[in-house]
Amino acid sequence: MYRCLLLLAAVFPAAAQPVLYACGNDSQTYVVGSKAPTSGLFHRDRAGGWTHYGYHHPLIFGFASDPSHPGALLLSAGNGLLRAVGAGLDWTQLTGSDVTELRDVDVDRSTGAVYFGYAAGIRVTRDGGKTWSELSGGLHRKFTESIRVDRKRSGVLLAGGEDGVFRSEDDGRSWRLAGASGVQILRIEQSPHDACFWLASTQGAGLFASHDCGVTFENLGFVGVGRNLYDVAFDPTTAGRIAVAGWGPGVVVSTDGGRSWKPRNEGLPGTEATAAVFDPATPGRLFVSIHDRAVYVSDDAGASWRKDGLEHTHVNRLRFVEVAR
Amino acid sequence: MKLLALVLAAVSASAATPAFEARVRSIVDTVAHPKSLENASISTVAAKLYLHEDAAWCSSRVVELFAGPQSGDMFWMFPVTATAYLDRGQLSAEARSALRRSWKSYAPYRGDTENHFLLYYTSLYLMSQLYPDDGPETWFTGKSSKDNMEEARQWIEGWVKLTTTRGQGEYDSPHYIQEYLIPVSFLAAWAKDPAMKKRASMMLDFLIADYAPENIDGITVGAQSRVYDKQLLEKSLNLSSDFLWLWFGLGRGLTPPGNSTFYYVIASAYEPPEVLRRIATDRSTPYTHYERKRTRNRWRFWDERHGPVYKTTYVRKEYAVGSDQGGVLQPIQQHSWDVTWSVPDPRGVQNTFFTLNPHSSLRELQTYFVFTSDSGIQDVVSSKKMYDSPDKFSGGSPYEKIVQDKDALIALYNVADGARFPHINGFFSKDLAEVREDPSGWIFLRGGEALIACRPLRPYFWKPIEEGGKRLFSPYRKNGVVVQVAAVSEVGGMDAFRKAILALPLDIRLDPVPAVTFRSLRGAMIEFTYGEVPKVNGKPMDYAHWPLFGGPFLESAVDSEVLAIHHGGLRRTLDFRSLTVTDSGR
Repeated sequence: MYRCLLLLAAVFPAAAQPVLYACGNDSQTYVVGSKAPTSGLFHRDRAGGWTHYGYHHPLIFGFASDPSHPGALLLSAGNGLLRAVGAGLDWTQLTGSDVTELRDVDVDRSTGAVYFGYAAGIRVTRDGGKTWSELSGGLHRKFTESIRVDRKRSGVLLAGGEDGVFRSEDDGRSWRLAGASGVQILRIEQSPHDACFWLASTQGAGLFASHDCGVTFENLGFVGVGRNLYDVAFDPTTAGRIAVAGWGPGVVVSTDGGRSWKPRNEGLPGTEATAAVFDPATPGRLFVSIHDRAVYVSDDAGASWRKDGLEHTHVNRLRFVEVAR
Repeated sequence: MKLLALVLAAVSASAATPAFEARVRSIVDTVAHPKSLENASISTVAAKLYLHEDAAWCSSRVVELFAGPQSGDMFWMFPVTATAYLDRGQLSAEARSALRRSWKSYAPYRGDTENHFLLYYTSLYLMSQLYPDDGPETWFTGKSSKDNMEEARQWIEGWVKLTTTRGQGEYDSPHYIQEYLIPVSFLAAWAKDPAMKKRASMMLDFLIADYAPENIDGITVGAQSRVYDKQLLEKSLNLSSDFLWLWFGLGRGLTPPGNSTFYYVIASAYEPPEVLRRIATDRSTPYTHYERKRTRNRWRFWDERHGPVYKTTYVRKEYAVGSDQGGVLQPIQQHSWDVTWSVPDPRGVQNTFFTLNPHSSLRELQTYFVFTSDSGIQDVVSSKKMYDSPDKFSGGSPYEKIVQDKDALIALYNVADGARFPHINGFFSKDLAEVREDPSGWIFLRGGEALIACRPLRPYFWKPIEEGGKRLFSPYRKNGVVVQVAAVSEVGGMDAFRKAILALPLDIRLDPVPAVTFRSLRGAMIEFTYGEVPKVNGKPMDYAHWPLFGGPFLESAVDSEVLAIHHGGLRRTLDFRSLTVTDSGR
């Protein structure tokens, strides 16, 4: 049945519309058991308004479109991998009591496999969430903050945890250290223009780059060292343009593929940036979130900013997701 | 003779406090009949349903309470579950429907601690049991009742197995005790599956046995995983005091009683067996009690998810001395060692003494939590306000190592260069009857009938504590204290105690790491070098064979799933492998 759904999706692709989503919560610190904050998943409509989506949920850290349920999102959350269908309360917990503290989710569009990274490793489902397999057996330390599927090379995965970037060429059965040994990884992203160009942002050690398809990573050395870089955003419309969001550096932008970087904080209310994303439909449009302040948008790749919405929030992730209609 | 003393003690206790059933009733009555019903909580509804009174009011109040958005996560789930089970046909269809619908309209979070999970899965199990045929579209989980129950059953059974083989991770918390007793009481009362019901009823004995030997006069003593700042100093304010009063008539209980005992009694209202009552109340002979627990889940920086916690607690009627081995075993609220002395009326009394290295670090938090690094400490401080304070009195330190033999204890500190707070705090209570700084370097204290000798390894000065008492502040990274306690009745008074202490061999070295050799008042030669396994009478401490429970009253080997509880001729054995309880003796 699941394979049939995938086949149908491939034969009759639904019209996809990139929609900007954010996950996070309001600036009131959530403590388990406290009054539920305005939190969870938000989406930005065409008119630029932000709307809360589904249940209030205090701890969602990542999301991706669901390959087995057109129109649905998969959410990596503190209490499991969740499927959210539509804007209502049609949510399903796809995992059980054996996993907790999910940090990231990614999908292999060619196979429909869904991967998530969590506090105790990496898991995959190949049947739409009915069964899960652990993939972190070859990792010395299990904590996984970021997981990415190489969109061009089947079976190649990159994972970042407390001990560097690791790469698997056999769909997670074995892992090899690719770089940033001993460094906590916060995000890994693959360039939409060059599938062999990867960036990894870190806690305290700046940015690491790979130009050999993720086999090795080298420290770029001059961006955000000593601070925490929470997000990396490639501009899908413009090769070479990349933004990094960090706590302290704020927004830093490169227009030459990471060889040089410039701070782009003029007009922002602070430099505690937690997430960044370029609009795939509008060249130069960049969204960033500033902790406890709001989401800001720039139409000139960070040269100037205006407030966009989600005031007084802490946003964990901003992403455009193609949601089938 | 001893038996006679016990009988007399029991008679005396029963004369002073009402019987168990009366204590239960007083708790329920208090919650059922608040001064005003205007803002009555779900607890009052549950209490009235328990008493079968005011059904119409209960229905209308349920409808009101569930009309708006819900919050509270698992702390919302368990009162609602209790209300659903206490309904027994009393609520209107409208009220029952409102309550049931809330399990779809609101998605409580599962939390991240052991107690969160137990409350969450117990509530989900029982509510799904109540509506066994409901489909996934009716639950916030998106799963059917059957699937909810199965997921919950697996977690609960796993928790019981882990607890009876390796100990609790959130061990011996005098506050969070409630959040274990409540769900286990629920399952013992309301689970339909005979195995689940039996397992839960046995866990009630197991949990109560865990607390019974570590109390004096209803005050929980010994090293603890999680305790709040105020209750750390004024111990009778801990919720465990309520339970020890309810179960055994010890102490005074809190006035009014907290919701914790209420939700315990409206489910199983379990009265512990006589063997546990004797263990909890008999302090005629001093004893040393041992426990092995486990650390909280360590997400980062460790190869093993849980590490062992080795506890030693020496108890006698006048005082208790308790400790773990030191180190960061829990985030934020750990309490590693102290001396607690008995007082006739503990209300308002800070009857404890201890030292610590106040430790605050991102590494500690990232070991146990997954949150983002920059806002992490800020997030913690929002609810645990003293976490990042140099003046704090709670929390473990990676730079603290402890050894204890009976009522002698050595705590050594080797604080790393660059640590946020490179000093030692000592808590000297306002309620110490005497504090004498001796030219020898010892400080002699008297609390109740306990005489305490404390020898700081390095110079110190005093800082006032706003709420009373004073703080020993020693700004040296290589540091430590030697502590010896004795009862007034044993040594005759402070002067004799001082003389006896000064006669004890004591060797102190600070380089390359702090090291102490000390012969205790009870004759044990303790050799302790920071970072090395301590020796007592020439033998290294045998951590490899530390029991899950050991001592005169409780015996359980690690991984055994069997707990033997005994006092005198009475014996109860809990065998979780076969789910059997065996009683013998009288």
